[in-house]
Amino acid sequence: MVFFGLGGLFYVSVLLINAIAILSEDRFLARIGWTANADPGFGGQRDDGIKARLVNLVSSVRTLMRIPLMFINTAMIIYLLIFG
Amino acid sequence: MYQNPPPAHSPPLHHPVPQHVSTVPQLRSPPPPQPPSQSHSGYGYAQQHGMPSQQGGYNNIPPAFGGFINDPTAQLGFQMGKSAMNAGQEYVEQNFGRFISVGALKHYFNVSNTYVVNKLWIVLFPWRHRPWSRQQRMTNNTQDVFYLPPREDINSPDMYIPMMALVTYILLSTLLAGLRGAFKPELLGYTTTQAISVMLLEILIIKLGTFLLNISSSSQLLDLVAYSGYKFVGVIISLVLTSLFGQMGIGGSWISWVVFVYCFNANAFFLLRSLRYVLLPESNPQGVGGSAAGYTNTRSQKSARTNFLFLYSYGIQLGFMLWLTKV
Repeated sequence: MVFFGLGGLFYVSVLLINAIAILSEDRFLARIGWTANADPGFGGQRDDGIKARLVNLVSSVRTLMRIPLMFINTAMIIYLLIFG
Repeated sequence: MYQNPPPAHSPPLHHPVPQHVSTVPQLRSPPPPQPPSQSHSGYGYAQQHGMPSQQGGYNNIPPAFGGFINDPTAQLGFQMGKSAMNAGQEYVEQNFGRFISVGALKHYFNVSNTYVVNKLWIVLFPWRHRPWSRQQRMTNNTQDVFYLPPREDINSPDMYIPMMALVTYILLSTLLAGLRGAFKPELLGYTTTQAISVMLLEILIIKLGTFLLNISSSSQLLDLVAYSGYKFVGVIISLVLTSLFGQMGIGGSWISWVVFVYCFNANAFFLLRSLRYVLLPESNPQGVGGSAAGYTNTRSQKSARTNFLFLYSYGIQLGFMLWLTKV
């Protein structure tokens, strides 16, 4: 009985994580400048800035959720095909 | 530990001493006929391997209802179910302690009546409350700092009020929907999911803000759950007063807005003062209590954190409280 609205919440969160995961690394993120800062900071780069941490968070979510998202998306497609 | 198994051709003559008093009432009923008792002996043998204490009680006390316990199949099923239930209970107890530490939960429920009353007063009228810091108790090593339980410290967050407020909110909103004539049984589930998802989103936002702003907070997760549950008190008050004034016909819709704005301001101020110790690290020069902060907080970081605190306390809470009162 508690899980009635959780389906919608799960649906929305899967869509949002999909949206984060399908951003193109070189065509989009590099244009904005949200790529991972791989070069070692020569002293002028603040590692703990909010933008660096945000970029870090986005890239780690993408790396982590790429493979589980495949399974989750497949399961949801099958579920929605069967149950409408 | 077993007694000698009886020979197969005679019914068991000895009974193991029951370890606990059996609660089956002592009724008189005729002794079972011969063939079931011979199969009883086979099952009596199996019973001694299982629970000698309890089945010994069943062997000499006749059953209370109908005599279907004499049926060996039913008895076997009964004790299989009992052993399955015991095993399941042990499994749940073992694994539950791994997910949720029960000791930490007990700390949050260690409340007293005066604490609850005073805390509700603070939540609804926080402007005159003077010291907002939680009191700590030092142990021998200055690494572990124990916060005092809610019974002794009025500023310590508890889980009793938020849990009660959450359940009251769910029941109240369902009741109000029923009074409007729009009740359906799934409404309970929807409201529960809505309220719990509000709490989850709040904790997610705080965690995200903590990570992005590089705040090394040492507060527990349950603290954040408790703080996000205090707003249900204001939501309940707002809903009750709104429907009450609506029933009595006093004033228009502006009075519900007045009540809501007051509850929202009280909740926002309460969170502002309470979360200041969670989100903004203390700048103690002496480092009392083991705050090993070696980094310097720049001015922009501090202002960013203060902005986040304000944004969270006022902006996000406004959104959530509006959503929750739209019953």
